[in-house]
Amino acid sequence: MPLFGKSQKGPADVVKALKEAVNSLEKGDKKAEKAQEDVSKNLVLIKNMLYGTSDAEPQADIIVAQLAQELYNSNLLLLLIQNLNRIDFEGKKDVAQVFNNILRRQIGTRSPTVEYICTKPEILFTLMTGYEHQEIALNCGTMLRECARYEALAKIMLYSEDFYNFFRYVEVSTFDIASDAFSTFKELLTRHKILCADFLETNYDKVFNHYQRLLNSENYVTRRQSLKLLGELLLDRHNFTVMTRYISNPDNLKLMMNMLKERSRNIQFEAFHVFKVFVANPNKPKPILDILLRNQEKLVEFLIKFHTDRAEDEQFNDEKAYLIRQIKELKPIPGH
Amino acid sequence: MSRDVCNTSKSLDSESVDISDVEKEVTNVILSGKDEIEPIENEENIWINDPDNADVDDDLENLNIANFFHRVDSDQIIYQKKKRKLKLVGKYVMGDLLGEGSYGKVKDMLDSETLCRRAVKILKQRKLRRIPNGEQNVEREIKLLRKLKHKNLINLVDELYNHEKQKMYLIMEFCVGSLQGMLESTPNNKFPQYQAHGYFIQLIDGLEYLHSMRVVHKDIKPGNLLLTLDGELKITDLGVAETIDLFAKDDTCYIGQGSPAFQPPEIANGLESFPGFKVDIWSSGVTLYNITTGLYPFEGGTIFRLFETIGKGEFTIPDEIDEPLRSLIVGMLQKEPEIRFNLRQIRQHSWFSRRPPYSSPPVPIPPLREDRFHKMTVLPYLVDHYYNDPNDNSNDVQFLTEHELNELERSKADAEYSNGNAHSSSGRRHKSRNKKNVSCISVKNFPGCKQS
Repeated sequence: MPLFGKSQKGPADVVKALKEAVNSLEKGDKKAEKAQEDVSKNLVLIKNMLYGTSDAEPQADIIVAQLAQELYNSNLLLLLIQNLNRIDFEGKKDVAQVFNNILRRQIGTRSPTVEYICTKPEILFTLMTGYEHQEIALNCGTMLRECARYEALAKIMLYSEDFYNFFRYVEVSTFDIASDAFSTFKELLTRHKILCADFLETNYDKVFNHYQRLLNSENYVTRRQSLKLLGELLLDRHNFTVMTRYISNPDNLKLMMNMLKERSRNIQFEAFHVFKVFVANPNKPKPILDILLRNQEKLVEFLIKFHTDRAEDEQFNDEKAYLIRQIKELKPIPGH
Repeated sequence: MSRDVCNTSKSLDSESVDISDVEKEVTNVILSGKDEIEPIENEENIWINDPDNADVDDDLENLNIANFFHRVDSDQIIYQKKKRKLKLVGKYVMGDLLGEGSYGKVKDMLDSETLCRRAVKILKQRKLRRIPNGEQNVEREIKLLRKLKHKNLINLVDELYNHEKQKMYLIMEFCVGSLQGMLESTPNNKFPQYQAHGYFIQLIDGLEYLHSMRVVHKDIKPGNLLLTLDGELKITDLGVAETIDLFAKDDTCYIGQGSPAFQPPEIANGLESFPGFKVDIWSSGVTLYNITTGLYPFEGGTIFRLFETIGKGEFTIPDEIDEPLRSLIVGMLQKEPEIRFNLRQIRQHSWFSRRPPYSSPPVPIPPLREDRFHKMTVLPYLVDHYYNDPNDNSNDVQFLTEHELNELERSKADAEYSNGNAHSSSGRRHKSRNKKNVSCISVKNFPGCKQS
């Protein structure tokens, strides 16, 4: 590199150099230290082309287009992600920044990188497994959420077998990783309303079997977050069919009734918002009605004493009063 | 509005000196011709002391009309300096008026604990009762706002009640203005496409959230889309919104109450029931048409004419609008709700997914009372409260005539001018402080003023 003035290296050179450096880093031969240095250096070069620096503007569109094309052709994005754990700390962040920038790139109404990743879904799956490695989990998280903004990519992830790994990732003991995984998980399940509704409908059993595990988790945060998300999912108009199905299952009702009695008041409160849907349902199936009838008196008594200190919360009190009235007025279906 | 009338009527007698400043907040004392008008009302209203006192016009309605057309010469109008008193409501410090809606006033406000700037909507029960469905609509809106939270939806931060005065304070996120206000400030009432695009995307995000929460807004229009200081769009006014029942099979609605020009054919034609969510799509379509062309797709001199044209569902798009925007508008303004675009189709439309290129400078947010920066009006109150010696009455002129007021302003402006740029910052501070001290009698409060 010249001491003064701009580097004359074009995108093709930089990409080639970076690829070689990553390859030798992967092999882990003697020159590892040198390779590490080269990787960092070239990543910075690429990053500066895309974002500019304090004294240089980002490169012109034509250069960026060339760069993107080189990245696709060399398959470098996947290579970088696969070797992310070998790259140093700053380099990891640079990879995420470069990736996200290239992903957002548009030509007219097309997003070429999104189209490219659709043909190379390994990129997504590799990113998802990133949650299993502590040192790269958060970097992968930022890239995944950027991907999840695009319906086509969200669809690939949702419908993949790997999606179910999220039920494991959100429960890991490292708090920041679990939280990050949860926000990606939530993004995937809520961002594209119609896609998500379709997914939940077609995979209802499998998803909610897994979801049950989260609701029963040992981890307080997981339990609380997943219960809250469940409430949001069920009350979203787009998920009407899913909600109807969920509230027809007596096991779900039992689970919510138990959660109403949890030690944590926050969980009780979240459970209330799911429980109310079972009661408010104008067409309760018999098994649901039976459970409510069997516990009619106890439920009324319980609800009257339930969170009485929330006097300020008008909506909650309205809903509570409504539930109590509903439960009091429950009658068995005639003929039984 | 009333303020504008005053501005023009007065700007005759002095040149470019910040005339509008003159009017800002003088309490409007009418001493003149008391003998002739004599008791306008034997109540307190001869002295129209406070522009906040909106009761005045209410009461005037009941007066003998003859008293109105009474001439008051401008030298007979006497202004009284307003005592700027710090007013606290709960933990919030009141500022100046930001705007006025049909339901009440909106004022600038500062949260004294978090130092967050807010806007407060002040509702008076007495006033609400006079509006058909006023109280119910407000109550419904508050209930809705409490449970809704989204970055493109106005956030209700706090609610306070003053039972004695029968006032309700709704504390909201601070917004600088509505799209409608911005449009009106431009010569041809439209935004460049890339600017409209930015707002439209946020509108659709907010609408998707509302619909997912089963809320049909029913009154989407540029006047109900506000902007925050950082350019975020906020959907507001859920006064006529309807919530679809949690267990309803579809989104059928029966009542349409929104602004006529934005209503879809199914409502214009008086259909008994119609799919709710598609109403918002239509209104968003009219909004998009309006902010990109400066026109309305459907017009009519009377509401019947208007509904007749809407009912036919035929409209033209100006030639200047080309693809892909054209087909998006056509898709959103389909007469039949079934074939009208849904939110997903809008999102997938090519105009939506591509930001139009920069064409001309963006339309800025219009200044509020000459203040381009929309400076926080709470600050002068605080400064006065903490730094002004209450015993120092030397400068306190209690009453001023119009002429004196103009002279004062002129000398002040001259002084500022001669101070030169070096002191401009301190001068400016002064000016902005003084600005709030005076205001013209608003026409609304005292119609006689209009003539002078």
